[in-house]
Amino acid sequence: MRASLSGRLADAVLALAALALLVHAVGFASPYGLRVLTVAGVYALAAFGFQILFGLGGALSLAQGAFFGLGAYVTGILGSRYGLGFSVTFPLSLLVPLLVALPVGLAVLRLESHYFALATLGIAQVLHLLAVNAPELTGGANGLPGVPGVVLFGWAVPRGLPMAALVWSMVAVGGAVGWGLARGRLGRALTLVRDDPMAASTLGLDVGRLRLTAFAVSALFAGAAGALAVHTQRVVSPEVLEFPVMVSILTIAVVGGRGRMAGAVLGAVLLVHLPEWFRALERSYLIVYGAALLLTILLAPDGLTGLLERLFPRRARPVPDATEPPPGRKRDGEALSVEGLSKAFGGVHAVQGVSLTLRAGTITGLIGPNGSGKTTLINLISGLERPDAGTVWLAGQALTGARPDRLARAGLARSFQAAALPDGSTALEAVAAARLASDRDLAAAESHARWALDRMGVGELAARPCRDLPAASRRRVELARALARRPAVLLLDEPAAGLTDSEKADLAARLRALAAEGVALLVVEHDMGFLLPLAGWVVCLDRGRTLYEGPPEGVRSDAAVVAAYLGGGAP
Amino acid sequence: MATALQLLLNGVALGAAYALVALGFVLVLNATSAVNFAQGDLVMAGGLLAVALAPLIPLPGIVLLPVVLALMAGLGLLLAAAAYLPLRRRPPVSVFISTIAVGIILQNGASVLFGPEPRVAPPLFGDGIWRIGGVAVAEQSVAIVAVAALLIGAQQWVFGRTQLGRRLRATAQDPEMARACGVPVTAMILTTFAIGAACAGAAGLLLANRYFVTPTAGGDLILKAYIAVTVGGWGSVPGAVAGALLIALFEVGVSSVLSYPAALGALYATLLVILVVRPQGLFGEAVRRRA
Repeated sequence: MRASLSGRLADAVLALAALALLVHAVGFASPYGLRVLTVAGVYALAAFGFQILFGLGGALSLAQGAFFGLGAYVTGILGSRYGLGFSVTFPLSLLVPLLVALPVGLAVLRLESHYFALATLGIAQVLHLLAVNAPELTGGANGLPGVPGVVLFGWAVPRGLPMAALVWSMVAVGGAVGWGLARGRLGRALTLVRDDPMAASTLGLDVGRLRLTAFAVSALFAGAAGALAVHTQRVVSPEVLEFPVMVSILTIAVVGGRGRMAGAVLGAVLLVHLPEWFRALERSYLIVYGAALLLTILLAPDGLTGLLERLFPRRARPVPDATEPPPGRKRDGEALSVEGLSKAFGGVHAVQGVSLTLRAGTITGLIGPNGSGKTTLINLISGLERPDAGTVWLAGQALTGARPDRLARAGLARSFQAAALPDGSTALEAVAAARLASDRDLAAAESHARWALDRMGVGELAARPCRDLPAASRRRVELARALARRPAVLLLDEPAAGLTDSEKADLAARLRALAAEGVALLVVEHDMGFLLPLAGWVVCLDRGRTLYEGPPEGVRSDAAVVAAYLGGGAP
Repeated sequence: MATALQLLLNGVALGAAYALVALGFVLVLNATSAVNFAQGDLVMAGGLLAVALAPLIPLPGIVLLPVVLALMAGLGLLLAAAAYLPLRRRPPVSVFISTIAVGIILQNGASVLFGPEPRVAPPLFGDGIWRIGGVAVAEQSVAIVAVAALLIGAQQWVFGRTQLGRRLRATAQDPEMARACGVPVTAMILTTFAIGAACAGAAGLLLANRYFVTPTAGGDLILKAYIAVTVGGWGSVPGAVAGALLIALFEVGVSSVLSYPAALGALYATLLVILVVRPQGLFGEAVRRRA
């Protein structure tokens, strides 16, 4: 009860602040004050897009300022040179940054984080060079004066309060759209892509497409903000493409609170007003921005909204009721077959010509000494590594070398040796992530996740943060995450590591129940006492090659296995 | 022929200075796997430091060099203490942002102190021009190449032949392992930041005579350091030096035929193409999950 009260208190604080701002704007602000407020709205709009791309998606784009500038120049050039009105220039100011962002994003979004930042900065520099050096089009270094104001349905919106109201209603619309995206499937999926792209792809999420979507959305917001900035200034000059714009957007997002729309508004209002409140700083306001950015990163990495939430914690949302997700396609016989799979790293042959078949409803054990290629084999099957040779057939489809998300959507699920759960999210959220690729909305994903948690006997832990879970519970939550996908094939990498004997017995029973439903399981394990009674078939690898394949009873009596695996010193 | 030789010399001199910038960047990158976005602004700071010191020490630039190196090393320590050490357990993007913040502070601090006009630092020895068989050879260009070669050589010697260098390399390769072997890792990281900033300062001093220095010069320089390191192979020290020479020759060559903005535009366009086509850039640091 206390938590919910303090949550409402936080909302009340924010609402009061908004009301004060409104009263100030309508009743007391000077024309200059209104202009500053308008600029703050413009930056909030640009920051919304950045919150989705960088705050949620974790992609540090340094092109948000460039898209802002692009939107500004489209409105500036069309308005000043060709006399076109708002109804034409505004949509085009959204469209042109989008059209630039899509091909650019396709090319650079695959890049690793710092390369991505560099590439986007390069794009920003190219646009700035163009603006300065193509005076016939852009007016060169001086820019273009005489950009018309906004005309809405024949009404020329005057400067001052009406323009401020127009910009802030756009902020309201943009904020609502951004908030919806951030709280919905897209926001959740992007957060997972940011925290653990590999886990995201093995859960069936198309990482590239999600990032591209976020990049496109961010460009739309920036373009809209740029257009409104030019209508406010009535001139466009290369300044809109310079680094300070980018710095301001980044600072607003970080100081306000990464990934939060309220943070974008709070950050924009604060930072745009900062130089006004401290007149002495006028020429050096960017020093203050730099200092604010540094201090926030050092002391309050979640920004102002993060601080507010820590002061006034919200009540956790109620855990939804369980709904059984629709079962995956049922297949009898061969669920997965692998033939002649090979992979070398440099000169080391990690896996050489391994073949195996997993039948629906069976449990296959994969054993071998450390470094024998077990994890590499699982990585090859699940698409995290591309095989040098060999084929992978899943549910009757040839999927050799396919991306992990493609394999996952075709019915494959896997776990990792170190249970890979996002520390910050609750068990329910972690499992719901596995349903994002298949479910229509978040509510459905969460009730399906609840079902999977219940099945693994950890339903009561749904609201607990993953980082607080003991090892055995983490294992079960991770199994629930794999199970929630309703896979046809389940690959488990050392699921019993670190469990007590009774926990192992419980795990074995749950795995048998899964097999009885028709799931084909491949279990990598060192603990023979756990694995041999469980598995119906065992494959033993040694130095990347199949050493033994057959029933579990044969393992202990096979001389080669004994020599290689059960003890090097054995005769 | 004579023009080509002259362009070559100009390109090599510019490349030698860029090499110092890229070297400082890549050393910090290797030691911390963090991107120091303030490297370009440190170069600018070194250049303006030389400008500010020149009236106090009315001697050739070569005498200023040790002073600039020492002061910039101190600035590097400050940078590490404020923007790296507190964030070393956080995701890499935090350091990226904190160094962006430091860059903003340096750039705008410089613009408050010095104003936006381009400034000139004194030449290393003199600004005479030698004529050798029809080729005009600027004394400063030769001095830049010589000084940069000397500094890079000294750095290579320290890293390759001394106990300090072995410890620095151990830290760069595997900080956990180095710590287990008794290497004072934090001190080594601080030293690396100091060396990186000193390299930037030297580059600033070398560049600020022929090419002037403005408070906003850092943005272009960090991009060029970045490009040099990307072209040369992320994390490779000789690659960074080679990459720096390559982009300087490209820049000088294209500028002489077209214009400087065209050269810059072509350079960035080339960079984008390299990033997209070159697979090392695509999956450079993909770490396989195992344990």
